[in-house]
Amino acid sequence: MGGVFQVGTFIFSIISFLIVFFFIQRFAFKPLAKMLDQRRQHVESQITEAEKSREEAASLLAEQRQLLEEARKEAKNLLDAARVRADEQAREILLKAEEEASRILEENRQAIVRERDEALAAVTQRVAELSVELTAKLLHSHVSPELHREMVAEAEKRLGELVC
Amino acid sequence: MPVFPTLFAGTIWQTNVTVIATIFLTGLIIFVVLRVGLARMDMRRPRGLQNLIEWAAEFATNMARETMPTEQSVNFILPLAFVMLLFLFVANWLGLIMSITVHFNPHMSVWGLSPSDLAGSKGDIELFDSPTSNMSMALALAIMVWVISHARGLRHPKQWLRHFYSPSPLAVIEEITNPLTHGMRLYGNIFAGEALLGIMLRAPFALHWIPWQLPLIVLWLFYSGFVATIQAYVFSILMCLYVGNKSFEGHAHH
Repeated sequence: MGGVFQVGTFIFSIISFLIVFFFIQRFAFKPLAKMLDQRRQHVESQITEAEKSREEAASLLAEQRQLLEEARKEAKNLLDAARVRADEQAREILLKAEEEASRILEENRQAIVRERDEALAAVTQRVAELSVELTAKLLHSHVSPELHREMVAEAEKRLGELVC
Repeated sequence: MPVFPTLFAGTIWQTNVTVIATIFLTGLIIFVVLRVGLARMDMRRPRGLQNLIEWAAEFATNMARETMPTEQSVNFILPLAFVMLLFLFVANWLGLIMSITVHFNPHMSVWGLSPSDLAGSKGDIELFDSPTSNMSMALALAIMVWVISHARGLRHPKQWLRHFYSPSPLAVIEEITNPLTHGMRLYGNIFAGEALLGIMLRAPFALHWIPWQLPLIVLWLFYSGFVATIQAYVFSILMCLYVGNKSFEGHAHH
């Protein structure tokens, strides 16, 4: 009888299968499909999120790198400027010191010259006086004050010529 | 010739109760397995039975994607493909796993069977069998698929009409042969496997004690299991193919 076509079996098979299909589809397949769809969406959103955050990280990194580069350049500029200024200052200081030194040297030289001149003048005067006095003593003090003055002036003049 | 309990015997509505009962049993088995497997469904960490079910769903999805023209038609056929795949797999295996037979006095009239019917099977009535080893049931599934495919085709009536004569009028013949071969292939494979298994099981032992047919039975059982699995796949993929051929909304883009 399995080999004979039966209309009743045919019809009831379709109906039974449709009932079975309905129950399985409604209460077993639908939740499964929903879960699979959820997972697919979850994975997709995770992937897009990951891609987005990776792009963000890359742009941030580039930005940071640029900032670092800028900072480094600026630091180098500052350092260079400082070095130039320091060099200038050092040169100025040196210059000023040299000037000061030469000025002091000059002053001292002038002072020495002046003192020597003074000392020479004093010595000359003294020698003139002494030589006049000596001459007067030799001539037995017969010299009038007038003549004495004249002789001193003469001696000073001659000594000055002699010295200079 | 095995006989089955029958409803409406003698009328045109004669119905094989074993087939209907095993259809529901198959459905129940699938339903329970799916519900148990998905009871603690976890989107992030699938485990155990859920993996197996997800694999089956993915298998059905790939099968539908390979045969259907558009994603829309894939979504239409996917529930049916998934259920059909599991249903036929379980149904084809039912008759291999066990068979239940009750023996009656062949002179009685029970469960809608006349004494002459019972005499033909020596009083044995089969209570458990693969539903797909019944020709009416296999053809019923095939015709159902055929009706679904045409119902889907009729959503685009002009293209539906045209596909009968273009590219060739042989398509009309195919409309008859396709559902017939679709159903008969399933029925023939499953019925043949079980019929031979039954014959070997009933064969007498040699010298009353040597079970000479045991290795043959084991071999044939493996082969029938293989065939049962393959036929479930073949029927389902052909179903997708037939419905896909009549899903005309995708053909417009080709």
